[in-house]
Amino acid sequence: MWDGHEDVSQRQVDILFPLLSHRVMVQPVKNIVIVGGGTAGWLTAGVIAAKHRSRIGNGFSVTLVESPTTPIIGVGEGTWPTLRSTLARIGVSETEFFRQCDVAFKQGARFKGWTTGAADDFYYHPLMLPQSFGQVNLVPHWLAREDGRSFCDAVCAQGRICDDGLAPKTIATAEFEAVANYSYHLDAAKFAPFLQAHCCDKLKVRHVLADVRKVNLADNGDIRSLDTPQAGEIEGDLFVDCTGFKALLIGETLGVPFKDCSDVLFCDRALALQLPYPSEATPIACQTISTAQSAGWIWDIGLSTRRGIGHVYSSRHISDDDAERELRTYVGQAGKDLPVRKLAIRSGYRETFWKRNCVAVGLAAGFLEPLEASAIVLVELSAKLIAEQMPACREVMDLIAARFNATTHYRWGRIIDFLKLHYVLTKRKDSAFWKDNVLPETIPDRLKDLLLLWSHQSPWFHDEFDRVEEVFPAASYQYVLYGMGFRTQLEPSALAGDAKNAERAMRENVTQTERLRAGLPRHRDLIRKIIEHGMQAV
Amino acid sequence: MPNLQLLNPQSHAGLRLRTTEEAASHFVQIVIAEFAAAAACCPILFSKEPATGAFYAGAVFGFKAGENLLGEVEERGGFKPLTLQREGFFLSDRHIAIDRDHARFSEHEGELLFDAAAAPGTALRAIQRVLGDLHSGLEQTKAFIAALANLKLIEPIDVSLHFDDGERITLQGLYTVSLDRLRELDDAAALGLFRAGHLQFAYTMTASIKQIGRLAHIRNRRKELHQPPQGLLG
Repeated sequence: MWDGHEDVSQRQVDILFPLLSHRVMVQPVKNIVIVGGGTAGWLTAGVIAAKHRSRIGNGFSVTLVESPTTPIIGVGEGTWPTLRSTLARIGVSETEFFRQCDVAFKQGARFKGWTTGAADDFYYHPLMLPQSFGQVNLVPHWLAREDGRSFCDAVCAQGRICDDGLAPKTIATAEFEAVANYSYHLDAAKFAPFLQAHCCDKLKVRHVLADVRKVNLADNGDIRSLDTPQAGEIEGDLFVDCTGFKALLIGETLGVPFKDCSDVLFCDRALALQLPYPSEATPIACQTISTAQSAGWIWDIGLSTRRGIGHVYSSRHISDDDAERELRTYVGQAGKDLPVRKLAIRSGYRETFWKRNCVAVGLAAGFLEPLEASAIVLVELSAKLIAEQMPACREVMDLIAARFNATTHYRWGRIIDFLKLHYVLTKRKDSAFWKDNVLPETIPDRLKDLLLLWSHQSPWFHDEFDRVEEVFPAASYQYVLYGMGFRTQLEPSALAGDAKNAERAMRENVTQTERLRAGLPRHRDLIRKIIEHGMQAV
Repeated sequence: MPNLQLLNPQSHAGLRLRTTEEAASHFVQIVIAEFAAAAACCPILFSKEPATGAFYAGAVFGFKAGENLLGEVEERGGFKPLTLQREGFFLSDRHIAIDRDHARFSEHEGELLFDAAAAPGTALRAIQRVLGDLHSGLEQTKAFIAALANLKLIEPIDVSLHFDDGERITLQGLYTVSLDRLRELDDAAALGLFRAGHLQFAYTMTASIKQIGRLAHIRNRRKELHQPPQGLLG
């Protein structure tokens, strides 16, 4: 009926009520217009188009408007394991993804120098859950042992797998399936075109290369259409703002303010460079390496073809020149003459993500330092929420927008808490940056409360982590807390009852660790095999 | 490490082929031309080559490494997979290579590989035929598997066996043809599969799954025979 074909009953209604002036209108949401052709735009297009596959061509459309002139900012190259299910749902081949986007596996992050800054100071935040996580909380049992083993090694195999430079699966493991949980390191500049080809060829997304010159509003304040010199006027029922930092729709047009959070997270600059491997046999790190500096930290991400290295720092605590010097020291002789790209970043997010008929995704929604690779996962979560809750008509859109805003606000808040956790646990006193980071006024209240709680009981399946909107599971908090030397007071009651289960779980972890270390191939070897032979779909 | 040599009448003039016991394997690679004979005595399933992850078809002879529940060739209705017939012989490009250290080769016992005129003898001619069949058979089987994979017809199969004495065996990393998806094929795809000659092999594979139960039964019975009767112990 929405498509305008008349039926008898409708005609009867018109005859019966010819003079009815206050009809309740139903304005269906049928045409989705995504503005921006970066990772956020194409991922969102793919997720929406895949979910609504059967409707496309039957009155429903997904259009992506991309400026032919605006360059794309490649947001972070690290991802979360959610990307596996997102890509599988969109329907791309994992093999092709590896072949076309210079992909490598990521099994977590290795944090160096965050706690004391000493030479042997490091810990892992792996992607595997602690052994038997659903049955037993191993934290108190590990604390009671005090046998010198790191928390990560005591409860899971992944730190050792990363130490050995091994891959998280074998060539006989099916696409998107894991032996050890994993995500990816990818070349964002190649990822967007890869998704574009799939979206246009397989998912019937309409791709319009045009500059948005003017945004036209309807009387009620909704966005009605976009004026473009190349493609004329583009109308839509729902607009997704993926225009990056520019925030053309949500910011410039609808005036939603940006909520700055540099009072909590200080880093506001980044320097990035690309370092080639010395040879085709050089091992590829299977984890992000984050090394603390005097006023920030350096990311080191191994792709299949090169390393991506960058320094994220606080301009209030270090000059650009000194920051570049620290980066060059880290890279060493091999990168002496490599050009460095400078980026200004601003931590924070929109006060409202979905306003009227416009929703912001990606950098238009906000930005946080890439400490835990939260950029792409937030795009995935937002796109999934939009796709799953796609309003049937404009009349219910505000209700869905309110839900979307509540969930997304919660997520940003929790990510900020989690990123700040990496800073507040430091014992470093060697620079103003680290000292300022532990000042109480820079710590969000919720995090303060949790730290107090965690000094008496460790995070596990307690109510603060039972929301489906949760981005980081309790396991992630455990790995960072106990990796950084945080100590929870041991109550005897915490050990009672499940000592046997804990004993068994830790034994199983030893067995599993040995089995995986013996059975998994070297990271680079597996990538080479994937490129040469491909992975099977089952 | 095999001692590989290119076979030639000069170096291998006195070499003989003797009859040896078949290597005990529980999963033997086969080609589609062998499917019908294999299905008459054992299950046919896919597994993945550890080095490449590529699928290959195999006949299940047992449930554990080195276990052959099917016995001698006669007990298998004469079915002897090409990969077992060619033991010790390989194709290198178009030339035959041998593993000189393989127990099949002897200087004293068995039939000479080359006759007095340095031409292949009866036994070697049979091997030539086996290697030829295997070579073309592997290519055909690869095409068959690619066709199935393209249509997403391959699915994992979990085999979980419980034996009378309480032993449990779970077979992992095995795959078969999905009958459900085969039924859902559109007409063009089904006709394409039929015209390519692949459809019959897909059905042969699915029918052969029945043999798993028979093999388990053989295994159960064997265990009974090898177990000392209760009460006589101690």
